[in-house]
Amino acid sequence: MRFPSTLRHNGLSLDFKRDWPLVPPVQNAFLPAEAVVLLRQHGGPSPRCIVQKGDFVREGQLLGKAEAEGSSPVHAPIPGSIREIREVRLPSGGSSQAVVIVLQGTFSRLGKREEKYVWNSMSQNDILGSLRDRGVIEMEGEGRPLGELLRTSRGPELLVLDCLAREPYLRTESTVLSERGAEVLEGFAIVRSVLAPERSLVALDSTERDLVASVRALLSDKKEAPDCFLFPPHYPEELRRRLVEAGALSKKASKAALFSISPSTALAVYEAVVRAKPLVERYVTVAGGAVKRPAVLKVRIGTPLGDLVEECGGFLGAPERLVLGGPLCGEPAYDLDMPVTKLTGAVIALTREETNRGKRVPCIRCGRCVSVCPEGLNPEALFRRIALNREGEAVSLGLSRCSGCGACGYICPSRIPLVEAFEMSKQHVEAKKR
Amino acid sequence: MSRSINMLVGPAPFIHERESTSSLAWGTSLALLPAFIWGLYCFGPRSALVVGVAIASAAAAELLIGLLHRDFSLGDGTAFLSGFLIGLAMPPGVALYVPIAASLFAILVVKAAFGGLGSNWMNPALSGLVFALLNWPREMGTWMLPRQLGGAQALSGATPLGILKSSPSIGDTDLLGLLSRAGLRPSDFDRSITAFLNEEVFGHIGASLPSGYMDLFFGNRPGAIGELSGILLLAASIILLSRRMIRWEIPASIFASYGLLVWIFGALPSGGAFFSGDILFELFSGSFILVAFFMATDPVTSPATRVGMLIYGFGIGVLTFLLRSFGSFPEGTAFAVIMMDCAVPLIEKIHTPARRGGKEASRG
Repeated sequence: MRFPSTLRHNGLSLDFKRDWPLVPPVQNAFLPAEAVVLLRQHGGPSPRCIVQKGDFVREGQLLGKAEAEGSSPVHAPIPGSIREIREVRLPSGGSSQAVVIVLQGTFSRLGKREEKYVWNSMSQNDILGSLRDRGVIEMEGEGRPLGELLRTSRGPELLVLDCLAREPYLRTESTVLSERGAEVLEGFAIVRSVLAPERSLVALDSTERDLVASVRALLSDKKEAPDCFLFPPHYPEELRRRLVEAGALSKKASKAALFSISPSTALAVYEAVVRAKPLVERYVTVAGGAVKRPAVLKVRIGTPLGDLVEECGGFLGAPERLVLGGPLCGEPAYDLDMPVTKLTGAVIALTREETNRGKRVPCIRCGRCVSVCPEGLNPEALFRRIALNREGEAVSLGLSRCSGCGACGYICPSRIPLVEAFEMSKQHVEAKKR
Repeated sequence: MSRSINMLVGPAPFIHERESTSSLAWGTSLALLPAFIWGLYCFGPRSALVVGVAIASAAAAELLIGLLHRDFSLGDGTAFLSGFLIGLAMPPGVALYVPIAASLFAILVVKAAFGGLGSNWMNPALSGLVFALLNWPREMGTWMLPRQLGGAQALSGATPLGILKSSPSIGDTDLLGLLSRAGLRPSDFDRSITAFLNEEVFGHIGASLPSGYMDLFFGNRPGAIGELSGILLLAASIILLSRRMIRWEIPASIFASYGLLVWIFGALPSGGAFFSGDILFELFSGSFILVAFFMATDPVTSPATRVGMLIYGFGIGVLTFLLRSFGSFPEGTAFAVIMMDCAVPLIEKIHTPARRGGKEASRG
């Protein structure tokens, strides 16, 4: 029985460690023979393509130039020739231009002594400028350009390095933290120097004892080190609510009072500012019951998903679902040719036993969705209104507060596509407003 | 190099909890099996026949509806569970047309006519039971003594609640004594257990348990096939609760409200004082446990929110007390649940989740 957590928080008690019998070392994935680099790596306007078919590009050369607010530049992850520039369907809907690079030529960076800049002596504008020019964005969620984001969010009450497990299977952030801890913390320090928050802290998963110990060791010799806060894993993560409960944030604090970044983002900041590297690679979890040897890989942007799966020993059997991101709020992948983007934190191949998909049957009003909704909504009542085409009533019952966490859809014994209905309805309502 | 594989595409979430609507129904049926087996032991193969025809007619009705809609739902287990519950709530010696009619009424009228699974607003099993109770009160009020009390064949003997109902003698506050005088004497089993408990446990704290309770608790009494054994039903419900297949709010609220009312007012009709009602007797002498854990918790006809469930359970407890005290039937649980089923839309109107949501909206 796991009543306490349901009574206190709602949400789900998920087994975050499942499917991870061992913690594998990080592998550097092989360079892809062919990289498909999307120009639209995230929301916002697409950068302008400044290369042409047949061009030779160096590693790290600019491919797409950001010309508008909310857009960030895209660089070549591998050296080679541009085979084509084509239109690619995106998992989140819509499409993007993609530059297809065939691996050729020599690496300008590999094997050379790495540059190292002392960021303490850089001006804030220089730091923000190098974040923008090197295409650094938030490495999850909406993926807003980090330079812009930092400029408009100065002076928050609290800055958090958020290392908590977001969903089952995902090991990207904890791996980045354990493998590249010192760099992550330096990247975090850079962000702190720009934002100048009143207080900063590191939020860690209390079940990851080794990681907590290593982060504490890294912080011990630092001046003005951020505090460590430990939280047990819980779904959904709800960082803000936990910080309020832990007394780190006042209950009435505004939305802008809290600024959080992930270890992946902090590492990208470090690489861009200290190493002067454009953002062309990231860590990706490859997991799920259908993957032979689950692992966290260091991957070039643009690598096809199929390459990652092959790198992990291929499939054990045909997966029932292939997911980009976590199994509860990730996006479906259409095929194995889809490329890794700056926002691809994980590729999960799920078997039938893991999905527990079932036949959809009528709602039996069991109320499980109500008991797990972290926003205190009544998904059953919302769905009934939406099914009857009474969206107005659904909105007055709090539809717009639905965060799309998927807890209700996970728990529903009748397998009703609640999240899908809510997302569509929210979009519909938004469209009507405009 | 196209590497296409056959995969489903569709939106998140991509994983689900193992429990499904059909596994809930089949699981509940499975949990009722020990109580049924006890009934079978007490009343012999005749009781299996009663339960069998109840299930068979419920399944046949579901199949018929499936034929009409070209959508077969027998596999979801809900019709089986309804039929099983109807069978378990029948007196063991009842004429077979009674469970058949009850099951057909439950599935065809109460469930299918209102839109099938999830759309009925009265509990099918309980409606079928009440239908039988009102149509054939004599058949539904004729009980058998369990085999171990000597008279498996004797179509006689009222249930403990029936004895209580028909003996309005003032000044008779000893309910167990009442049973003895009506012919339901404590069994040897009860006497030995009670003696053991009094010696080893209650003796040390200066208390003493009268004979008779153990018979009620273990199910050595006349009654419906599946309602006898309080201990087997409680064990099953603990399994269901711990696996969260039924919600604790409803039975907890029923027990609390009914127990409190019995304790405060229960002794008044027989001339006793306030706060001296016999809670144990009332809880274990009828269909209370079966109904509270396995019928009132039917998700379809109970509220979906926690506060709603607590209100619903409270209403059932109060109504059961009123019906048992003042109604014309000895048993009141079935009527109480059905009345509260009808009140569910009202409960959900009073306790709207929007209000709860609105309060928390400031959290931002």
